[in-house]
Amino acid sequence: MDKLSKEEVLHVADLARIYVSDEEIENYKIELKQLLSDVEKIKDVKGYDDEILISPTDSFLTPREDVEKDTVEFNDIKKNIPNTFGNFVEVPVMINE
Amino acid sequence: MSKYLSLSIKEINELLKTKKIKPIDLVNEAFEEIESNKDLNCFITLDKENAYNKARELENKEVDNILFGIPIAIKDNIITKHLKTTCASKMLENFVPIYDATVIEKINSKNMIIIGKTNMDEFAMGSTSQTSYFGPPTNPWNKNMIAGGSSGGSASCISARLVPFALGSDTGGSIRQPASYCGIVGMKPTYGRVSRYGLVAFASSLDQIGPMTTNVYNNALLLNAIVGFDEHDLTSVERKEEDFTRLIGEDIKGMKIAVPNFFLSDIISKEIKENVEKIIELLKENGATVDYVDIKYLDNAVNLYQIIAMGEASSNLARFDGIKFGYSYENPENLEDLYRKSRAIGFGKEVKRRIMVGSYLLSGENATTYYNKALSIRDDMRKSFKDTFQNYDLIIGPTTTSTAYNLGEGLDDPRQTFMDDILVIPVNMAGLPGLNIPIGFSKKHLPIGLHIIGDSFEEAKMYKLASFIEGKLNLELNPLKEVAK
Amino acid sequence: MTEYKKTIGIEVHCELKTNTKMFSTSLNGYQTIANKNICAIDLGYPGTLPIVNKYAVELALKAAILLNCKINRTMHFDRKNYFYPDLPKGYQITQARTPIGVNGYVEIEIDGKTKKIGIHDIHIEEDTAKSIHKEDKSYLDFNRAGVPLIEIVTEPDMKSSSEAMAYLEKLKEILYYADISDCKMEEGSMRCDVNVSISKTEKLGVRTETKNIGSISSVGLAINEEAKRQEEVLENGGSIKEETRRYSELENKTILMRVKETGNDYRYFPEADIPYLTLTEEYIEKVKNDIPIMPNERRKIYKKHEISEINIEKIIQDKTISDYLLNFDDINLKIASNLLLGDIKAYLNKENKKLSDTKLTIEKFKTVVNKLDKGEIPNKVFKDILANLLETEKTFDEIVKDNNIETISDTKALLEIVNNILNNNEPSIIEYKNGHDRILKFLMGQIMKETKGSANPSLVNKILLEEISKR
Repeated sequence: MDKLSKEEVLHVADLARIYVSDEEIENYKIELKQLLSDVEKIKDVKGYDDEILISPTDSFLTPREDVEKDTVEFNDIKKNIPNTFGNFVEVPVMINE
Repeated sequence: MSKYLSLSIKEINELLKTKKIKPIDLVNEAFEEIESNKDLNCFITLDKENAYNKARELENKEVDNILFGIPIAIKDNIITKHLKTTCASKMLENFVPIYDATVIEKINSKNMIIIGKTNMDEFAMGSTSQTSYFGPPTNPWNKNMIAGGSSGGSASCISARLVPFALGSDTGGSIRQPASYCGIVGMKPTYGRVSRYGLVAFASSLDQIGPMTTNVYNNALLLNAIVGFDEHDLTSVERKEEDFTRLIGEDIKGMKIAVPNFFLSDIISKEIKENVEKIIELLKENGATVDYVDIKYLDNAVNLYQIIAMGEASSNLARFDGIKFGYSYENPENLEDLYRKSRAIGFGKEVKRRIMVGSYLLSGENATTYYNKALSIRDDMRKSFKDTFQNYDLIIGPTTTSTAYNLGEGLDDPRQTFMDDILVIPVNMAGLPGLNIPIGFSKKHLPIGLHIIGDSFEEAKMYKLASFIEGKLNLELNPLKEVAK
Repeated sequence: MTEYKKTIGIEVHCELKTNTKMFSTSLNGYQTIANKNICAIDLGYPGTLPIVNKYAVELALKAAILLNCKINRTMHFDRKNYFYPDLPKGYQITQARTPIGVNGYVEIEIDGKTKKIGIHDIHIEEDTAKSIHKEDKSYLDFNRAGVPLIEIVTEPDMKSSSEAMAYLEKLKEILYYADISDCKMEEGSMRCDVNVSISKTEKLGVRTETKNIGSISSVGLAINEEAKRQEEVLENGGSIKEETRRYSELENKTILMRVKETGNDYRYFPEADIPYLTLTEEYIEKVKNDIPIMPNERRKIYKKHEISEINIEKIIQDKTISDYLLNFDDINLKIASNLLLGDIKAYLNKENKKLSDTKLTIEKFKTVVNKLDKGEIPNKVFKDILANLLETEKTFDEIVKDNNIETISDTKALLEIVNNILNNNEPSIIEYKNGHDRILKFLMGQIMKETKGSANPSLVNKILLEEISKR
């Protein structure tokens, strides 16, 4: 059966930032391939033109006025934040800075 | 105990107006029904405290609209301030939102009473509600069977008459397909009709919130309550106010109906096809014309959907990173470890699979090869639908290719879940409104649904046809009564 | 030996001067306590949607017009997907497919010649959160998350550090004068990434990107240092890799941050939460008409008024002065600018005030300049009443009267004083007539002393010369 390679699965897991175990890699090799060969079919479909439909609506954007409205207090969101330090959101040190 | 909730909405309203009952009686009944039907697993979170408080508060208020004091269930991917919103995921198991979705504000302004949050597929990804972190809801017509999905909890609780109204969301059939499996009325409105602000995004260009009810009239009433332009959602559309019940009861004579050939092809089960053909005869007998037509790209719709929905989902779900909210892996080795483990543990299998595929489909050259190509064919498909509506009032066909099936089936096939929605997906692609109404039962006595598709913003016309069929068929749609028989 | 030629392209990020953020209604202002100006949208809360700030679009359009860009009349936004803690949604909303402006240019003056620097595109996007790092943790402040930005990307048209610096000076001047951005590099409201490559042939070399340089002069230094480094690598037989570097002002050299992963996979795709935005012809015209007079136009006006080159640049550098001068079209701008750049600016600096804080009305200033222009008041009087002019509501005439300053313009009284002075200084007259011109200044001084500086200097001068000639 057609499968993705381990490298391909790991690349996709990298993009998605999802840890995958060796067992999962084996499953993904098959499952991802199945889904990808499904969508491959679209390559052969011929359309009328190159116009793209981003969202299925005929309406155009009405921008909003530049007025302050919906500010929230840090205390209100604090309960949902896994780690805080004072008024800051804490994370393991960022690399690539 | 009295059964008020099985009365018609007009009767309930009259009882409330004349103070023969109080909202709290309805709330009591809803919670009792939910309690005695726990095995349906319709709800993730019940909101007893607020529901009772609201009911008491309403006792001193004037009954100012027909939805006043009526219990409603909300799919758990619609944000409710101070009430846990989990999306049926471990990722948001303890997430308490800080604002209300626009539809919730609208529901509150009608003084409806929110009973709780309904079960669903995790992040609405699935067609059986079996991907829920909290276990699947079951089908009241056969409790060994799926309720459909992703709005399975909402469909199941309406079907079992636990509450009279529910909200669902529909990205690729997630309202209409479970409505069909559970024998209820479910509407996915035109894209832009209802604000998506506060709907946890799955695929932004497809998602739409819609009403799920026991009958057509109630459905139109709930749609009346939730539509409208919202400054918080730029894709919502400004329209003149209209009453979606206004055409209900009108004669269907002269209506022009189209049936796409694809909708009666071999992929549809025989029983379902027969039931739909019976409806076609019924419509013809009553003065409607029915023609068979071809709409382009219908057979590509699932692939288009896979590309667009998974692509958008991979991006929409990137915000769940263990930093600002949601599940966070404890004591990670470093930042990368925090990301990867939080997402690996917080998300379930189906969600991860879709994020992975979606990321792949947008990576490198694939964005052009797949995603932009899909957007382009999607534009063509929409035009083909629009062309059909130049000559026809409505399009009909079956909602699903089969009836509900056993729990546990199809879980191992990543493609099954998409094939369940093959008939309902095109509607999301084109941004059109789609409605399911029950039209009969299979030999195993499982509901069969008819899918009515309208042109953009033609929901009232769809309700007109649906209520006509509903009236003519006069089916017994309460599964519990059916069982008692 | 042929020399290496530099090729330079620049990407500038500028924060737009709006009241609120690009896609949310919380305040645009991050110089405050951490996580104060935030809302659910800025944190990427589930269920939130972006709502486009009209004024931000207007400012970006203004920039596109001023940079001579072709305007995309129908545009949409795109998502740039990557994971980083300062990016709350896991994607940045930007414009990749349909930037608001493309194919523009900025004119710079280099070695007395005008050169066009091509603008590849200018697009709208949102800023990321600010982070502080300490040991094994980083701390995030989302006040900056969602602040509206424009990114301006040049063609690789610059050949030297001086061209690059001239471009940045020019760009900054334009954006600042059109009120599009504060352009404060030191505070990060204007940020600069520089792409440098070197080559001996027409074929361009491999380029490196030096990120987030803190000032325009550092940009010049960084370019030269980076080119020098690349030359050394090539001369030693090495090859240049595509990489991201940063510039250390302390060590005056560029330092490697990271080698670019093969094809940064940002998975761009159209943002479905924001429908197409169309800019009508009328709207573009309206925005065009609202653009104030730009520095180059102002320079021409000043030149016509014979203001010195040095002072012209001084005025341009101080936009409040330049803007203030726009109020006048029929006064002596040379005198006016001298006052503003000299005594008035010194006073404001001393008092730590802004021109707009003072009570120097347009009328009052006009009177003063005209009086000075006609020689009706001496400079000394102006100095004496400066504080009054700036701090009180009184008119010029009232101030003069209240301070008992009388400008003696009575010819008869002056004649008497002049002759008195001349009578007491007979020898000086002889000296003057023998060609010692400075004696005139001495005599003027005597007269002004006698009149306590209140005499009209041009009148005194006239009478003095007449009376001397009579003797």
